[in-house]
Amino acid sequence: MKGSLFALLAGAFITLQGVANSRISQDIGTWQAAALTQLTGFVMALLILLVVRDGRWQAFRQVKPIYLTGGAFAAVIIFGNVTAIHHMGVTFTISAVLIAQLCLTFWIDARGWFGLEKRRIRLPQLIGIGMMVAGVVILKL
Amino acid sequence: MIAGLMLAITAGSLVGIQTIFNSKVSERAGSWATTALVLGLGFAASLVLGLLFEGKGMFVLHDMQLWYWFSGVIGVGVVISLVNGIRLLGPTLGVSIMLSSQLGFALLWDSFGWLGLEKVPFTPAKLLGVLIIVGGIVLFKWSGGRQAAKSAETTEFAEST
Repeated sequence: MKGSLFALLAGAFITLQGVANSRISQDIGTWQAAALTQLTGFVMALLILLVVRDGRWQAFRQVKPIYLTGGAFAAVIIFGNVTAIHHMGVTFTISAVLIAQLCLTFWIDARGWFGLEKRRIRLPQLIGIGMMVAGVVILKL
Repeated sequence: MIAGLMLAITAGSLVGIQTIFNSKVSERAGSWATTALVLGLGFAASLVLGLLFEGKGMFVLHDMQLWYWFSGVIGVGVVISLVNGIRLLGPTLGVSIMLSSQLGFALLWDSFGWLGLEKVPFTPAKLLGVLIIVGGIVLFKWSGGRQAAKSAETTEFAEST
């Protein structure tokens, strides 16, 4: 029960984040909004790190350097997300983002890229993807 | 429409890769150090791209409202609820609920036009579309197999969209 509530909240927050970024970008510009929200989020995360004392900075050195760069993608992610929300609304944008994300990670899993264990493609998964795409088409009817 | 769709697909693909990368960092460094790194880098990249495209205009922030300064808190909420949701429910159920909730709230948002966003009128067809997508997500997640804790789809999301 508590877990479901957390997961529900997580989804709500992610949507809220996209919407808030869109709203802010209307006033101050898209790159400005992306920079601002991430700067303030960064400061918050640092403060929390100080409190929970969970900082294992040395551990960064044990990770392949390329994996440390993931955060930089967020600039383009937020720009794309915000601009798409302005063009097509929240529901359609989030649906398209989710499907692209799931399809790509599905493909990466199937190929076993990035040192991930290779997984077999199962038919129900393809049906699931088909349903998601069908749902998006219905959204636009 | 096509431009928006291409942007959304680009964003989604990058989220997918970012999630994998972040989870590799998070395995070693913990979720808060990872979140700080991810947001710090995201800020730096946005600043550089903003300067590139807009020059000094990057620092012109007219129409700032007070709450804009606190919007980063939402990202912290995402990390806390996501990490706990997945810890308590496991990745398959946790991520399924999270994705469904994301879509549900998106539909609410469009329909009510909260926060001064342009209203997109609600239609039964939209609800049907969302429900079919949710059904697809659930089928996709459940048929993916639960054993593979290290797979890309099931890794802990420490993202920043």
